Amino acid sequence: MNAELQTQIAFHLAGRKPEAAAEGAAGADARPALLARYRDLSALRYDFPLLLLRNAGDRDYVRCLSGVIDEVVHGLAGGDGGERLTRHLLGLEREIRVLLAGGARGPLSALWDDAAGRLARGDESLQDSLRRGRRALKADGDLVDCDESLPTLLLKHAWGVVRERKTRKLGEDLRRLGISLANILQADAARSEAGRSPDSLKASIGAGHAEVFDFAAMSRLLAKASPKDGLPASRRRRIESLLSVLKAQRFVPVPGESQTQDRCYAFTFGSCAEALAAYRERLPKAIELARSIAVAELEVKGEYREAVHDPLFKEFAEGSLGQEELAYFPDYLVCMSADTLQGAETDRLMELLSAGLPVKILVQTDDLLEESTIARDGHFALGMRSKQLANMALGLNDVYVLQSSSSNLFQFRDRILAGMSYAGPALFSVYSGASDGSGSLPPYLLAAAAMESRAFPAYSYDPAAGPNWASRFHLEANSQLEADWPVQEFTYEDENHQRVRTTPAFTFVDFIACDPRHARHFARVPRAEWNDKMIPIEETLRRGAANAGDSVPFIMLVDGDNVLQRAIVDERLLRAAMRCRESWHSLQELGGIHNSHAERLLAREAQAREQKPQPTPEAPVQAPSAPEAVTEPEEKKTGDDPYIETPRCTTCNECTQINDRMFAYNENKQAYVADPDAGTYAQLVEAAESCQVSIIHPGKPRNPAEPGLAELLSRAEAFA
Amino acid sequence: MNTATECLLRMVEEHHELEDYQGGVPRWCTGCGDNAILAAVQRLCRDENLRPEKTAFISGIGCSSRFPHYMRTYGFHGIHGRALPIAEGVKMSRPDLNVFVNTGDGDCCSIGAAHWIHALRYNMNMTMMLHDNQVYGLTKMQASPTSPKGTKTNTSPRGSYLDALNPLTVTLGVQNVSFVAQVVDWIPEVLYDVVKAAFHHKGFSFIRIVQRCPEWLPRMFEPVLHDTNRVLLLHHEQGLQLSDGLARTYRKQLEHDPADIHRAREIASGTDPIPVGILYRNPEVPCYEETRNAGQLQTAGHARTALETELDKYTVWPQQA
Repeated sequence: MNAELQTQIAFHLAGRKPEAAAEGAAGADARPALLARYRDLSALRYDFPLLLLRNAGDRDYVRCLSGVIDEVVHGLAGGDGGERLTRHLLGLEREIRVLLAGGARGPLSALWDDAAGRLARGDESLQDSLRRGRRALKADGDLVDCDESLPTLLLKHAWGVVRERKTRKLGEDLRRLGISLANILQADAARSEAGRSPDSLKASIGAGHAEVFDFAAMSRLLAKASPKDGLPASRRRRIESLLSVLKAQRFVPVPGESQTQDRCYAFTFGSCAEALAAYRERLPKAIELARSIAVAELEVKGEYREAVHDPLFKEFAEGSLGQEELAYFPDYLVCMSADTLQGAETDRLMELLSAGLPVKILVQTDDLLEESTIARDGHFALGMRSKQLANMALGLNDVYVLQSSSSNLFQFRDRILAGMSYAGPALFSVYSGASDGSGSLPPYLLAAAAMESRAFPAYSYDPAAGPNWASRFHLEANSQLEADWPVQEFTYEDENHQRVRTTPAFTFVDFIACDPRHARHFARVPRAEWNDKMIPIEETLRRGAANAGDSVPFIMLVDGDNVLQRAIVDERLLRAAMRCRESWHSLQELGGIHNSHAERLLAREAQAREQKPQPTPEAPVQAPSAPEAVTEPEEKKTGDDPYIETPRCTTCNECTQINDRMFAYNENKQAYVADPDAGTYAQLVEAAESCQVSIIHPGKPRNPAEPGLAELLSRAEAFA
Repeated sequence: MNTATECLLRMVEEHHELEDYQGGVPRWCTGCGDNAILAAVQRLCRDENLRPEKTAFISGIGCSSRFPHYMRTYGFHGIHGRALPIAEGVKMSRPDLNVFVNTGDGDCCSIGAAHWIHALRYNMNMTMMLHDNQVYGLTKMQASPTSPKGTKTNTSPRGSYLDALNPLTVTLGVQNVSFVAQVVDWIPEVLYDVVKAAFHHKGFSFIRIVQRCPEWLPRMFEPVLHDTNRVLLLHHEQGLQLSDGLARTYRKQLEHDPADIHRAREIASGTDPIPVGILYRNPEVPCYEETRNAGQLQTAGHARTALETELDKYTVWPQQA
């Protein structure tokens, strides 16, 4: 074992750096090799910036800028100059990105005009294209880039869409109920004596026709026709109190009444404590309003029965507010940063979530790689507070949980909206990538790196989507689900100027390499000392404990001059990577991938199938011979009793008019023989003859002494 | 409405027996097919637990139109031929009511023909029963538009001169038709099933009930009553389902998809055998009362404000001369 290898192993095992390679991982500008191509984000077309649509439809509340430009191009490029137009508009898109990177903010229309102003200096065709594009631009709203304010802005916007929907519905219902209740009172007033007096009648007719009518006579006429009693006093009191509650509520603005807008409760908060306090404070009002709405619905339909409903509604308390009733009211939104989650605040968070209250909580983590406070060097907390928070919330089973990096938020936009619409608590745990100590990487790349390296995988758990984990848990947003680490192709030029293709994996260690605070765990190895005992990190991770002490893991980095570097990694990082991989494995099992239970079951079944002897092809089983003769449901009563084929009776009253004790109607008003002895055989035969559908069968005479039997029997033969 | 109110409503629902829907004692002749229709409708009301105060029967003039008197629900015995416009008015102002229309061959196909055509086009959600006994019964036997050619009546002592109108083909020929069925009053099982299907259909349901008049035309249907091959039962999984008893008794059956209007028109033109069952059903046709629904309650104040705003556009303000 040569000396270089020994120093490398020494570093790997003990972290002791040789003096020569003291400067750590190739300087501050190094980044993992796979991120080499993404130097200038503004030259790329990717998911960001996002356009938060101003007039958000129900489904479509956010678009990406590239998508909007594509739509404009597609709509316009049908005409001539399509190629040039596309080029111009793409150039504009890039200019907007540059502006945003420089810190500009604002609505799309303003930024578009700004960028267009900068670009179009004297170039006629460019100006023309930009003008046409601007006219074709239909969507507008605020543009946000992937920075630390993105999660809050996007989720607030999504929450706003859902709140708007709820506000509209609740406001409409309140308005409708208010009008209907007022109508009841008004109708009663119109019918009352005061309403029928000549003066009020005169007031209700417009000024133009006041002279034409004799109101005294009208009043007298109405007095005769009107019902004598008005609304009972208890009902009137109930309606009036309902009206006052509905008017005084402060949960939603009522459409058509402008002054209610300002009085409304706020529903956004910065901490769980505030949200909880506000909820508790408003709870009595919420109960009163829900109760009033229920009573009002019954009253408006005229179905309120005091005897039955009064005691029920007296007991209407917090317990009666089920999840559906609560979903009627706007939800509470709490946007907080993971830094503020200490002690009591975490308690309150879990309390809110487990109580099933309608809160939507956003916990934003800005820094995943903080060191644990129980300082063991290299033992990362792995974003302890926020990541474990989402896992804890999963255990509560009826909380909507969404975990994602901000780079993935656009792909998750439908799930975000689903979470906001979910009738119950929801937790959104987002890693923004916008930490201060992260060196030169923009937040988008850092966030994407966190997701790729399984440090912060993206998943969603929707309790409303189905009865089991398979339908509720969604892990598919992560790349290459079956693998431990995603693998990408990487091409570089070696010292002989030959193209080399490799497929490195992007591991947790690569993610840590993005963070200069942890540079001491890496040691750059100069090219001269590269040897074949250095193996790629994913190989080491795969071998695991089988690692003999004679190899060192390395990762590939690219420095500021785009030169490929290799840096070896110390053992603590390996351990951290293995822990990260373990938690990824757990998530995979939850998502049904390499699920150990499923695999065991499959193995058992495969084994059972092998052990069972091949069944010999049997002779086709003789079907049991079909039962003889379709059984007649209407058994022909071979007895002598008279009977009627009741289901075919047409209720024509012929037989019941002959003898209504012998023939009677059943509960479907169809006839049957109620009492065969209540009349004569002659009546039976007469009924059989007059029956329109001939369903009466007289049978045999019951009284042999009846006169004229012979003739009756011959007549009865036709009805046997 | 939230779940609390629904539970509360269901708690106090009353259950009505068939007799609870019986109004007066029917004065129809013994053996009249109207009794069968009354029994079937009362069974429907009981089975669907229709609330009497939410149900209305509207009729015109004729034996058929005595119907509302014998139902203990709301009813309107209107003037000759105008059952349908009154029913449409009821439905527009109170779309929450269950509206039924009882009319006869004279009331609907003669004097009320114009209303009939347009009621089909409006397609409001109601059930119309045409009690077709092929004669003017209440006025003691005159020929009606559906009397077969050659029927001898007081107004046609030498037999009527014109071929009978076929209400089915007329109905199937009107735009927007959404439910057409024919039944005969002497098969009560099919009568009930079709009335039930018509009630559940959302739209204007037209049922032509071929009905016996034992007083004026006692022998008209005798051959058909006793020969089961004169009736053609239409069945389909989207239409009438036949029970075993029915299928055994009435051998002539035809599977007909109620969605096929062209085939329906063909079948409807046949009078021998009489097709019985659901000829056409289309649930997608919009209902007029929903199309015209303003969607929002308005107060008198709103209406006044809106009118004032409109009229103000044309006001001349003398001060600004």
